[in-house]
Parts: sequence; C-alpha cells; structure tokens
Amino acid sequence: MKLAVVVQRYGADINGGAELHARYIAERLSRHAEVEVLTTCAKNYVSWRNDLPTGVEQVNGITVRRFPVAHEREPYEFGRKSVRVFEQVHSVADELRWLDSEGPACPALVRHVEQASRNFDFILIFSYRYYHAWHVARRVPHKAVVVPTAERDPAIGLSIFGPVFRGVRAVMYNSPEECAMIQAASGNDRVPGVVVGVGSDVPDRTEPARFRRKFNIHRPFAVYIGRIDENKGCAELFSHYLRYAASFERGLDLVLIGSAIIDIPAHPKVHHLGFLDDRDKFDALAASDLLIMPSYFESLSMVALEAWALGRPVLANGRCDVLKGQCIRSNAGLYYERYEEFVEALYSLESNGPLNAHLGRNGRAYFKRHYAWPVIERKYLDMFAQLKKEVRPEGGSHAAGSYGAGSSSGGTESGRLKMEPLPNWFARRERRLPAGRDVLERIPYGHVRSGAA
Amino acid sequence: MSDFSVRSDNVDVEQIMRQIRGRIREKRGVDYTEDEIRELANVKLEKFLDPKGVRSELLEEFRRVRESTDTARNFSFEDTTLFASTRPFLRFLRRLLNPILKLFFNPTPLIEALHIQSRLNESYNRSEALSYELMHNLVIELTRTGIEVKNLKMRLESMSSRLDFDERRARALEGVVQYRPGSVPPLHPPTGQPTAQPGQHNELDNEGNERRSRRRRRRGRRRPGEFRTGTTPGAGESASAGDETGGSYDEGADTSTGDFDCGQSADAPSFAEAPHEPGTPKPQSGEGGAVAPKPPSGEGGAVAPKPQSGEGGAVAPKPQSGEGG
Repeated sequence: MKLAVVVQRYGADINGGAELHARYIAERLSRHAEVEVLTTCAKNYVSWRNDLPTGVEQVNGITVRRFPVAHEREPYEFGRKSVRVFEQVHSVADELRWLDSEGPACPALVRHVEQASRNFDFILIFSYRYYHAWHVARRVPHKAVVVPTAERDPAIGLSIFGPVFRGVRAVMYNSPEECAMIQAASGNDRVPGVVVGVGSDVPDRTEPARFRRKFNIHRPFAVYIGRIDENKGCAELFSHYLRYAASFERGLDLVLIGSAIIDIPAHPKVHHLGFLDDRDKFDALAASDLLIMPSYFESLSMVALEAWALGRPVLANGRCDVLKGQCIRSNAGLYYERYEEFVEALYSLESNGPLNAHLGRNGRAYFKRHYAWPVIERKYLDMFAQLKKEVRPEGGSHAAGSYGAGSSSGGTESGRLKMEPLPNWFARRERRLPAGRDVLERIPYGHVRSGAA
Repeated sequence: MSDFSVRSDNVDVEQIMRQIRGRIREKRGVDYTEDEIRELANVKLEKFLDPKGVRSELLEEFRRVRESTDTARNFSFEDTTLFASTRPFLRFLRRLLNPILKLFFNPTPLIEALHIQSRLNESYNRSEALSYELMHNLVIELTRTGIEVKNLKMRLESMSSRLDFDERRARALEGVVQYRPGSVPPLHPPTGQPTAQPGQHNELDNEGNERRSRRRRRRGRRRPGEFRTGTTPGAGESASAGDETGGSYDEGADTSTGDFDCGQSADAPSFAEAPHEPGTPKPQSGEGGAVAPKPPSGEGGAVAPKPQSGEGGAVAPKPQSGEGG
C-alpha cells in the first residue's frame, strides 16, 4: 500500500498541532505502508513564507516532497476577507477568495497530487480549512481521506467545505465532538468515518527530579504546555491563577512551557521556561501535579493525552466541548467555566492525593485504551481495508448536497467519486450565503457522553 | 475545601463537579442566578446602592437616547461598492469598463481608505456601546457585591450571637455538673493520708472515699491582666508559684482529667484563678469550696487540694465570676 500525506507544513522541528499530528501518523503508518509526505516550503504558519528548499528530503526516514507557496499571506487582506465571510452575507466567490488569502496557496502541490494520485492508494489530507486541503480533496476525492482537525470556529460554517466533507472517501475524526459538529454542519453522515485521534511517543521512563534540578523548581506545580496565547485561553488562566495564588500562598506554582505571544505576569510563582524539547517536556509533565488546559477551542489536545499517558490529571476549560467531553469520558480530569470552579477544582486536585492518583490512573487507562499507537494504527489500517472493499456509492458522492442548499448533485466519472461541482460563474457571485458565524451558532454544541474516544 | 471521598476505582468526574458546584453555592450563601441579579440590579437597585449615584436603567436610557438621535448611519465599503448598482446591466457594464477606469487612476487606495474608515466608525460605535455595557455590568457587579456584603453581615451577626449563646451555655453546664462518687480513683491510699492541717477539712466523703479536689477550668474571655490573680485572697499563694506561660496558676495543678475536667488542656487558666469581676464578691475559702487552698507541703504539686468539708458529697458549683454560673 502506498500512502500520501498532504499537510500545510512538515518537519521535525515544526510543532503545530495538526503538523505534529501528521508527522506522527506518517511515521507510524510507514511501518505498514510506503508513505510520502507532500507539503509546502513554509515554516511560518502566519506568513507561509518559503523558508525551506523546494524538492525532496528525508525526515525521520519519511520522504518529504516540498512545493513553493505562490504568495504569502497578507494579514490585512485576510482579516478583511475573514470579516466578510464570517460576519456578513456573502457569496461562494467571497469564500474562495478568503481561502486563497488564507493560504498556503500552493498550486504546484495541488497539481502534483492530481498528477501523481494514481501512484497512491489513499491520500491523507490534514486540516480541512486550508487551501491545500480543499483543492486536493476536490481534485482527487476518490482517494482522499480527510483528517479535518476542526475546531468550533466559523470556518466550519462556510459553504465550500460541505461538499468536501460529503465527497471524500472517509473522514478520520479526532473526537466524537468534532465528528458531531462536522456531521451537523455538512450532513456527511453517510461518509465512512471513525474517531481516531492520535497517539504520542511518550517515553517509558521519565526523570522528574532531573527536570526540577535543571530548572530549579522545587515546589509542587501545575503545568501548561502550548503556545501562550489569548486564543488558547492563557489570559483567562493568568487572571484565575493570580487570584488563586493570592488566596493560597502555599498553593501550586504555575509552570508555562511554550513560546509566548502575550505578556506573562511577573509573579514569583509563575515560571516561564520557553520552548522545551520532548525530553524536558515529558519530564516536566511527570514532575507536575496536573496539567492545565485553558483553551476554548480544541480539536484534540495532544498534550492532554500525553499528561494522561503519564498518569497526570488534567484541569480543562469546560467551555471547550472536546476537552470537557474527554475529561468526562476518561474520568481523568476536572473542568472549570469560571474562577470559583477553577480554584475549587485546582485545590481538589492539589490537596486530595487519592483523587489526583485515581484520575491519573484513569487517564493512563484511557490513553492505553484509545490512543496507544497500536490502537491508532489499527483504526487507520481497518479504514483503508474497508475502503478498498467498499462498493463506491452510485452517483459518486456519498451524500447529496450542494452549496448552502443541500440539494442533490454529483455523478460518476470513469468510476470515480466526483465532488459536487461549484456553482456557475454567476451563481458563485450571488451574495446569499449566511455568515459563517451564524451557521456555527445553529450547529448543536456540547460534549458527547459516550464515544470511541 | 477538598473533601471528596474516593472509593476504590469508582471516580465520577461529573459527580465531583456537582459537589464542587454545590460547595460553591454553599459558600456563596444565598446563591442568586444571573437573571435574579440582573433583576435586582434593574429593579431594586436603590435598596443596595445610592440611587443618586447610579441609575439602574442606565443601559435602557442609553439605547433610548441613541434611537432618538439622528446619528449618521455607518456605511460599509467593500471593493465592489464603487461599482455597485441595483441594475444588473449597469453593474455588468461598470465591471466591464473597470480595467479602462484603472488606466486613469488607481481606485484601490481610495477603497482601502474608505473601508478602514467604515471599520473605524463601526469600532467607535461598538466601543461606545461597550462602555455603556461596561458601566451597566459594573452596576450589576456592585449590586452583587452589595448583596454579598449584606449576606456576610447577617452571617456575622448570627455567628456572634451563636457564639455568645454557646459561651453562656458552656458556663451554665459547668455550673450544674455534679460529682459522682467513685468515678475517680483515689490518688493516695486513705491510710497514707497525712493528717489534716488545722483548718483543713476532712478529705473523705460520707462514704469514706477519698475525694479529689476537682478543678474545673474555665475558658472565658481573657482580658489583659486577668491571669495575674495574685491579688485575690486565697489564690495569692498559688499564683505566686505559677507563671503565665505555665498555664496553671495553681501550684497543685492537677493535669489528670477528673469528672469535671472539661477536657481543657492543662495550660488553661486554673479554675481557682477565675477572674474576679469587679462588684462580685470573691468567694472565700469555705464559702463555696471552690477556691482551693494551697495543698499542704508534702503532697506535692500533683495532687489538687480537696474541697472544704461541710459541703457534703457534692461539690458546690463554682459561681462564675460575674455571671453566677
């Protein structure tokens, strides 16, 4: 079996959530199939500047083929177009302009995938909302398996993505909440899909004492790992933590790991360590009392899974359906929606040793049950096997639907799945599509109690 | 704060969160919902706040004023606005001629400037509304705080009255407890008793049992200087041997718990040195039997002196200083 992995950025030193996810999956699946990664030359996810050379290279034993980005993102233009499609009534053409503006605009990559698609059994496409994913999925729907990594943001309400979700061979979801959201937004219930998520290369042995020595942290602490950004809920975390620290002088310290986009409060109990390598990160998790995940939007929190793998409980933002759902399903974490809950839950995890230990044990079991690599690999391989056996639905597309209206269209072309076509030139320019945010608000929300993961 | 009982492998996160929320409700006292607080802020604000200082209908008034004034409506300016028309043909024609127009001048900066202006207008309008919202929210928060302060005051009053009541009750109980013969083993064999000193009373009760002197300790509100009881007659000698840090001002302090020992630690002030309230006659030795005379030398400090004879088997309750017990 030969697989292509198409992702916006790729590299051993690129640690974005979806990109890391793609790398882990590519490396794991390479044990069962021949895997080639098709990506851009970009390293920076804001500008998509071509920082890496075009051509082929090997990254951890995987062949990686890079293509240049045609134009960098212009933040002002992108912001203006985002307001148009997310906040106002707009047209399909507006959405396509927004997609082009968002990038990474890489027509060479799209052309290559289309031409080389016959060499691959399946093409795994990561991150539905980017240029490369939409164009590749439309070019080769009969081989496209999408890993959406979708969050609850207005992009899911854009009409151009519905046909993609309805027209690809399969969708590999990260969580039951993500699955429910995409199915509600696009009506792709008939498309084969499975909640998979991703595993992690958690070391068998960690050295918490080494971490404490190296960073001179001797008090018990809670750890946050990730980009220190307002979008990740860090501003709220700081506000809550400072109030907590004022009330509980002997309470937990807060250790922050990751690059900072916003200012970090100067407080003797807040330690910012910057970006750390995997060894330090896992040792930090092992040394911590718990992990705090303050993010409002997550498709899947890999760091939460890593904390559970190491037997550490998680304190998550309860306004994020995915995190709350995972805490409840795993019985391995508490959640908060306001300060009072934050402080009570944090104090409970800090002071109640048996509770902390039980949640940690549950987390470890949950990780092993759902996110251990053999489980993840098996889910992918089973899906590929199922797709190979599958009789393709008559008429091409799995489910009927069209831009915004949900009417039937589609057809076969040489026995292939064919994506629902774009509206004609005039219809594409008709401004009658509702704002993405309005569509999002109509999508049911809330955590899913039971599910595969 | 944290009082979850974790049983075997059965941890239910939702249950724990329910407990946490319940505890938050308990702590808050009367837990108003957001709607109730809003209602209170809107309707009953004058009960909590100075009505002259702040108006509960602030936001409504702001909206009324905005609607009544002829504020210029904001315009939205996009790249297509210049060429827009209600007539499709005209629109089409303009688009067609657009490239020719661009030969004469570049409309893009104009479009961008007007677009930015439109966004600025919008942002100004939004921030104006937001500042009123903010003020409104502050009013709500102030109301919430007012309610909370009121609740706390009530709780404080209730707690202080309960404390007073408990204190009185404790004193009353101390006063009515009775001695049960034989409940405390004699400290010394009767035969070994030294001869009573002149002026001392028999140490055997009616049944021939040795009676230990019982000292009850009293935890009262201490006032500065209360421990210095050496000035009181009858207790002066004991007090001279005690020290404040030692806790017992009675040389013969008995740290073993007797029937009437209320479980106070030995460092509690001895019953013998109960503060003497001004205006209350200090009971003299022999009057109530409560003021223990200095034990005869040779008994050691460990054995408490016995009550005065003539009291019968029961120890007369010690009159509480000032309160009568």
